[in-house]
Amino acid sequence: MLTEKYSLPLENKKMPKPKLKLGFYGITGCAGCLLSVIFNEDEILDLIQLVDLKAFPFIKEVNPDEQFDYVFMEGLVADKGDLEELEKLRQNTRYIVSLGACACTGCVPAYRQFTLKENYEHLLYRKQKEVEDIQPTPIDAHVKVDYYIPGCPPDKREIVTFIKNIAIGKEPKPYENPVCVECRKNGNQCLLDLGKPCLGPITAGGCNSVCINGNFECWGCRGPTKDMNLPLMIKILKEKGFDDKFIQDRMRTFAGLKLPMLEQFFNVKVNVKC
Amino acid sequence: MPKTITLNHITKIEGHAKLEIGVERGGITKCQLSAVEGSRYFEGLVRGRKFFEAHEITSRICGICSCAHVIAAISAVEDALNYKPSEQTLQLRKLLTLGERIRSHATHLYFLALPDYLGYESALAMASKYRPQLQNALNLMKTGNLAIKIIGGRDLHPVSATVGGWLKLPKKSDLLIIGKQLESAKADAIKTCKLFFSLKYPEFQSRTECFSLIDKNSYAVLEGEFSSEKISFRKSQYKEFINEYHEPRSTANFVVKSDHRYMVGALSRLNNSHRKLSKNAKKMLKLSKIRLPSKNPYLNNVAQAIEIVHCIDEAIRICENLNIRSEAVEKPKLKAGNGVGAIEVPRGTLWHDYTINDNGVITNANIITPTAQNLLNIQEDIRDFVPSVASKRKEKIVLEVEKLIRSYDPCFSCSAHFLEVKWS
Repeated sequence: MLTEKYSLPLENKKMPKPKLKLGFYGITGCAGCLLSVIFNEDEILDLIQLVDLKAFPFIKEVNPDEQFDYVFMEGLVADKGDLEELEKLRQNTRYIVSLGACACTGCVPAYRQFTLKENYEHLLYRKQKEVEDIQPTPIDAHVKVDYYIPGCPPDKREIVTFIKNIAIGKEPKPYENPVCVECRKNGNQCLLDLGKPCLGPITAGGCNSVCINGNFECWGCRGPTKDMNLPLMIKILKEKGFDDKFIQDRMRTFAGLKLPMLEQFFNVKVNVKC
Repeated sequence: MPKTITLNHITKIEGHAKLEIGVERGGITKCQLSAVEGSRYFEGLVRGRKFFEAHEITSRICGICSCAHVIAAISAVEDALNYKPSEQTLQLRKLLTLGERIRSHATHLYFLALPDYLGYESALAMASKYRPQLQNALNLMKTGNLAIKIIGGRDLHPVSATVGGWLKLPKKSDLLIIGKQLESAKADAIKTCKLFFSLKYPEFQSRTECFSLIDKNSYAVLEGEFSSEKISFRKSQYKEFINEYHEPRSTANFVVKSDHRYMVGALSRLNNSHRKLSKNAKKMLKLSKIRLPSKNPYLNNVAQAIEIVHCIDEAIRICENLNIRSEAVEKPKLKAGNGVGAIEVPRGTLWHDYTINDNGVITNANIITPTAQNLLNIQEDIRDFVPSVASKRKEKIVLEVEKLIRSYDPCFSCSAHFLEVKWS
């Protein structure tokens, strides 16, 4: 029969899969990670066709409050408003992606937890309750995070690859080697050998060693590798003549909250009065 | 006009801010613009750090103008150490800053400002009808980013600029690559001007004074005295003129000059220095038919478009004329002191100020961003502007107010994300 001819068995029916619903949000931060999405100038217009871009308040007026498959979060939690926004999005979202160093490690703003209050108390002032501070913290200190795209800023190609992967249902894989692996491939002279305080050996790569390519030592913005040899790193830096305060300050600038074990290696109080 | 309207999440600005307006019998009873982004206390974070670390830390104040913070911080530190960088170093810093202005203006004009004028919710929603225009924008952004990436090592938070020179110098061939890309963007810049000249802007005059750095010889970027048509003062004197004050409802400071509001940014620069624009930019200025000096903040969009043309010309000139010599990074001699850096960046004049001790440790820092300087002016403009549209529908009023705010290209990350408008 004609109808039989046109009705295929259910399992063979190729219904187009609905596109993933995505949101890009920012809490306290510098907008650099959201710009890293847009600054894929050759691909951005086609890339967004792969997904259902529901919300992106930085560049969109209409951002419906709804259920998302993935929300990319830029920024860290620094006040009550941040936390409320983050908790609401967590409830509405299947997978939360920490986008960039602030969301992943707390980045530079969270370094405040390691500086003396007297360094910044002159900047504190009376605020209304809705803008009250919270200790600066990465988002996984408050909600479950499913994926991390680290870096300050994140590598913009990595964002494209991540979105393309999830759009075709491929599981994104984190890069776990230290910065040194890509740095060697790029043929750079080792900056540690030149006496610079490079944190490449203990820092997760995936950045194509961009800083060292520009002759600037790694400050650890992508956070520590899982299998880092921290005691050896500290020993090398001390041998190069860096003092305890300098080493701690450097290691804590971008990822201090992910290095709580640092305390056991140093006896001096952090950030003694200058 | 509606008495009570609450609008949350006004978008398409950098950062979170809140606006509250109250109206009674046609008069404005309340108008408060406040940044509500979490405080990050950068000036406290650099205290106790070494002088050569300031720019790497303060770069994180802002993504879109990270080059600006890097160069302003380095300039201030070098000023404190009484160190004068080489001409080549200055030219490369200028090129980095021009590249940033091209990408920042293009991003603001097309992604944040334009959709309001064409009746779209976002640039992305315009993609099917206005794809060629968006390609112009993207090519301009790519051009700026390419220059920054080659000169600075990375397009956001550049790495190669440092106190005393460049950690990695570009080759002459690199400059020629940037030059070629800049040439390709010239047509995009002209089309951007024509597009933004064709838009209809409300007639409105801000009761303000326009400030920018003015340089004797050029359209100021890194040099010059902070000036308006009435007054001029040196960078080191800024504390005598500029004060900051806090509001409990805001996480950004308000900045005033001698207790008065003022405006910084592309329109201020155009007013103060248009005679020093490049030939192509002057042609565009003529074509725009705007009369200078203008205090219509909506025309900041037009000024930004003209500046893109100028920045491209100026950047091409540097790429052509600069012959890169091998120069090692110099180590300035340590001395205790205070230094101020003020440079023209996409949104206006940016101030960095550091005090350094004998050991090269930073003991105090003060940073004043362009948006902090514009904040009071934006708020007072809204107060002055709203009565002229008070008879319109709520949506229309909100749209015009949003356009006004966005025309300043405010960066609340620098000073605060979401603008929450509350009407009471």
